Order: sequence, then C-alpha cells, then structure tokens
Amino acid sequence: MTKLKSTYLALIFGFLYLPMAVLVLFSFNSSKYGLRWESYTLEWYRSLATDETLVWAAFNTLLVATLAASLACVVGTLGAIGIFRYRFKGRAVLQGLLSVTLMSPDIVMAVSLLVLFIALHVKLGFLTLLLSHTTFCLPFVTMTVLSRLEGFDPHLIEAAEDLGADEWQAMRQVVLPLAMPAILAGWLLSFTISLDDVVVSFFVTGPEFEVLPLKIYSMVRLGVKPEVNALASLMFAVSLLVVSSAQCLLQRK
Amino acid sequence: MFVAAEMRQFQQIFTRPFGLAKGSLCKRVERECKDRHTGMDCRYPEHREVNLGHPPWRLGSGNPCRNDGQNLKLTTLTGGIDLRWFRLIAPLLILSLCCTIVHGKEQEIRLFGWSDYLVQEVLDRFTLETGIRVIYTTYESNESMYAKLKLLDGGGYDLAIPSTYFIDKMRKEGMLQPIDKDKLPHYKNLDPRQLDKPFDPGNHYSIPYLWGTTGIGVYTAKFELRTIQTWADLWKPMFLGRLLLPNDMREVFHVAFRVLGFSGNTTDPAQIRSAYALLKKLLPNVRLFNSDAADVLFVTGEADAGVIWNGAAHRIQREEPAFRYVYPAEGVIIWMDSLVIPKNAPHAELAHRLIDFLLRPDIAKLSSEKVGSATPNAEAVKLLSPELRNDTTVYPSDEVLAKGEYQTDIGASITIYTEYWEKLKAE
Repeated sequence: MTKLKSTYLALIFGFLYLPMAVLVLFSFNSSKYGLRWESYTLEWYRSLATDETLVWAAFNTLLVATLAASLACVVGTLGAIGIFRYRFKGRAVLQGLLSVTLMSPDIVMAVSLLVLFIALHVKLGFLTLLLSHTTFCLPFVTMTVLSRLEGFDPHLIEAAEDLGADEWQAMRQVVLPLAMPAILAGWLLSFTISLDDVVVSFFVTGPEFEVLPLKIYSMVRLGVKPEVNALASLMFAVSLLVVSSAQCLLQRK
Repeated sequence: MFVAAEMRQFQQIFTRPFGLAKGSLCKRVERECKDRHTGMDCRYPEHREVNLGHPPWRLGSGNPCRNDGQNLKLTTLTGGIDLRWFRLIAPLLILSLCCTIVHGKEQEIRLFGWSDYLVQEVLDRFTLETGIRVIYTTYESNESMYAKLKLLDGGGYDLAIPSTYFIDKMRKEGMLQPIDKDKLPHYKNLDPRQLDKPFDPGNHYSIPYLWGTTGIGVYTAKFELRTIQTWADLWKPMFLGRLLLPNDMREVFHVAFRVLGFSGNTTDPAQIRSAYALLKKLLPNVRLFNSDAADVLFVTGEADAGVIWNGAAHRIQREEPAFRYVYPAEGVIIWMDSLVIPKNAPHAELAHRLIDFLLRPDIAKLSSEKVGSATPNAEAVKLLSPELRNDTTVYPSDEVLAKGEYQTDIGASITIYTEYWEKLKAE
C-alpha cells in the first residue's frame, strides 16, 4: 500500500516537474532548435544578457504582475470585507457580477477594455495594462477572501467588540489576520494569472510597453529562440527562491 | 504633468545611482556636449548612439546631448534631505512617469510585427544613421494585428507587416494609407516579378518585404520522394495518419481547390462545398493540424509529410538532411509579407524613411539572411551567397512561380469557408 502511495506521489510530481526539468536542461543544450541533446553550453545565457528587449520584456511582465496582484489584493480584500460585513441594497447583485467577470472569456474582456480606453482617450501603455490586469485579478482575490471569511465564526468579531474593540480594531486585529492566508493565496493566484496573460495584454498595451508572453507568442513565425529557455529557467529559479524563502519565514514565525 | 526638462532631470538623477552611465558612451557624450556649452540638439548622429538598445524609459526620452540637468545633485532637488531609500523605488517611478508622459520632440516610429521579423541589427543601424528611434511591438497572428488596428482606427502604429490576403482586406477596408513612391528612391531595387500582384495591384499600399511559398514537405527516410510530387498525392492511403497540415483555413482549402482545378481564391459556394467533401477524405491521413511548431513536429518524427511553408522546411533541412521540400505540380501557394502604413499613422513620414532603408540592397540582404526567407529585392539577391541564392527551397524557379498563386481577400465568403472548416475540424 505504501508502495502504491509513493508511486502515485512520484507520478504526480513527475508530471508536474518533468517539463520544467526538461526546460532547464535544454537551456544548456547547444542544439539551436532544442530538440536533441548535443552538448553543454552557456551560450543562450550569454546571448540573453545581450538581448535587452527580451530582458526588459521580462522585467515589465514581473513589474506589472507584482503591482497588479498587490493592487487587486488591496481592493479585492476591501470588497470582500464589505460584502461579508455589511448588508446593503444590491449586495447579491454585486456578488453575482463578480462571478460574471470571473467567467467571461478573455477576449471579451480585452476588447471591451480597449474600447473603453479608446473612448476615454487614455494613452495605451503601462497604465492601461496595469488597470486591466488589476481588473481581471480582482474577482479572484475577492472570491478567495470571501470564501475564507464566510467560513469563520462571526461571533469572533462580536467578541472583539464586547472586549472594547472599535470597528477598525476588530478589522485590523481579528478579521485581517484570519483572512491573511486567503489574501496571500489570492495574491499568488493573481500574480500567476497576470504573468501569463496574453489576450488581454495584447489589446490593452501600447507600443512602448511590451510584456514577455506577447513576445514569446509572437515568435511562432520564426520559431522560439533558445534564449527563451534560458530566461524561463532564470524565472523559475527566482520563483523557487521566493517560494522557499517564504516557507522558511512562515515556519520561523 | 511634468515638462520635458524636469523629466530629464528626474531620469538623470535616478539612473545615475544604478551605475548605468559610468564610463560608458553615455557619459562621454554628455561631457563633450557640456564642453560646447550648448543646450541645443546634438548635431552629431554618432552621439545619439547612446539610445541604442536601451529601452525608452531607462535612459529617458530626452536626447542625452541635450541634457541640462547634469550638474544637479539629488540633495539640491530635495532641499538637502537625503532620500537614499528613494533610489530603491526609483525605477518604478521613472517607469510610471514615462508611461504617462507624451514624448517630446524626439523622432520615433512605432513598428508592429512578428518577434524578430525585422532584424534588431537592421533597426539599430537605422537609428544610428537617422537618429530615429524604433519601438518594436509584436503580434502573433495577422488576425490579432488586424483586430487591434481596426479598433484603434489605424492610429498608434506607423508600420505593420501583414501577409498576402490581409493586405488586400485592409486595403479594401480603407485601413491603409497610400505609399508615396517618390519618397522611396530604393523602390527600383525591387524585382518587377514580385510587384503588382492581385492583392495590391500597382503596389499603392504595400511594399514587399519578404516572401515565400507553402508547399509539400516530406521526410525521405520514411517516404520516397517520387511518391509525393503533387497536392493530390497527399490523399494516397500510404500516408495514413502521417500528415501534418497547417492550422490555417485558407491554406488547407487552397490545397483542395488546386486538386480540383479551381482557383485558391474562389468564392463559389458549390466549389467550396466540393473542396470540403474532398478534404473529408483526407482526414484519415492527417496526424494533426498545426502551424506553430511544424519544424519541431517533423524533427521529432510526429509527422513524416505534410503541407509546410518553405521557411520552416529550410530550418528542418538544417537538422534533418533527409527532409525535402517539394513544389507540387498543381501550383504552389505564394505568400508575401509587405510593409504597410496604417491610415492614421502618427509618423507616416518617418515610416517612409524606414521602408526606403529596408529596400537598400545591403539591408535587404541582411534581413533575408537573418530571417531565412527570400527577399523580393533584386539587387539584394545579387549580393547573396551562391549557396543561398541557388537553394531552390528558398528561391524557386520562374516556372514554379508562374504556376503559383497568391491569396486575395475573399470578402463575405469567409463565413462559408469558416462553416465548412468548423465542420471539418469537428470530425
């Protein structure tokens, strides 16, 4: 039985991590088309260092993902607390609308956002991209936080208020710490969604601000460059570092 | 809103701590210009070299030679307060500033194309020679490029590179502006055989950039070359489950039309229906429809024959010498990627200059070599190595060209195509 368990586990992890292992391995492959193993090389990392447009596209992507996820977390958490804590007209409608944005196809969102920006005469670029990413990340954060809030005992807040906490203190010291895991989960979710979004980004970004997914997608015409493997490996290493350091910090706490 | 001068001060201060300019060309240029005590435009194009390679917002939009904020210290701006922590968030600040500020007088041009389809080396040389900065944005298909330009009403971008029938479509829908050939002294370099094609008669709206063909690819280790010489051969039972077709409605229908002896641009519903009936019989042979990774699928042995464009075939040949590209007897599909200027392009004048630059023989040669597609530039072909010039995969014979066909816009008939295409893919 334990053998079955461990094989199952190995299979799942292999399925998840094998593609990434291959990617990292092939970023050191000297074969230009990355299809067969030839020999070990650092050439792609070297040429990546000189390919400024690719590196900056990666930087832009990380920047937008970080900012959009953080912004969505702030607004989304506030929204979730609002929906959870207060009773007002149209509350149910609001909640329903959230799931509509959650389910609407990317292309619909992309085109409607672009039409909106054109109508408002907003110059397409970093700002429009950030606003759009925040928009489509928002329901993910709100939903995760809301489901967490709905799962805990409302008497906790009443207890806090009985002990003399005002509304703000109850929020700050009771609700927020309880919701924290959900907020973090929402942040990570938003970050990932923003990081690999192509459709919305293509429509709402301007000529001066290009993100990595668009650039890679657009390489289909000439074949994806091996430098992309190197870049993806580096990004994987960074995320591994972030996740493991977060784990360490949480454990020490 | 910040004015341009203030902007430049900001950028100068915030980029300095990152050691960007240290000892680099950037510093040298600043000093030279300072010695001249001019606050005016630098007259020496080579000084502008500093803009090369740096993204627009790292060095700032201002011409470095014009920089008048160089003696400013960080503390003078903040009134003696040392805001060292500020440097940490400085890149973010510069970025958001740059994105909201409309760039000043600096000349720049916005290009819309596939990744690396215009070679970076070429664009760098253009910037070096003219001082015009090129901002290169990418798209992944003609369809998405068309959709975005349509929504933006042709504004925002100065130059795009649509292929064959999209040129026709955009031209007919009034999305392009006429190209003034008087501003293109190098237009004469183009091969007359590649001009005045049905998708843009007279080339009023488009200038050919690179071209190629879609034909048959076959891995000769698996199937003998003589077994597959025509489009009709694809239907042979021997290819059961071994073919790769492009995931492109027009190309797949084009093949069937040629087998039936129709034009690849037919709009006759009866002909489209018969092509569909024929394609249904091809399905058992089709391993998969894919346009994005044809080279990978062939090299890994996923498919052994199929419909492929010559650029991909050329790449496979370098890995697999046994791979052959065949010009089918019924006539090959020819495509042409051309440079066009959208209707409301903000810098149409500069776009003309870039087009003319790309038509220069040495530049066209470089583009063709780097991308691996054929150039329509007759003068550039003369400069190519005999090895490449005589490679029939890239440069087919006149005979093949005469039999080939370009795709033009089929207007509203596209809905009939789509209907049958969906049916075909569903089976």
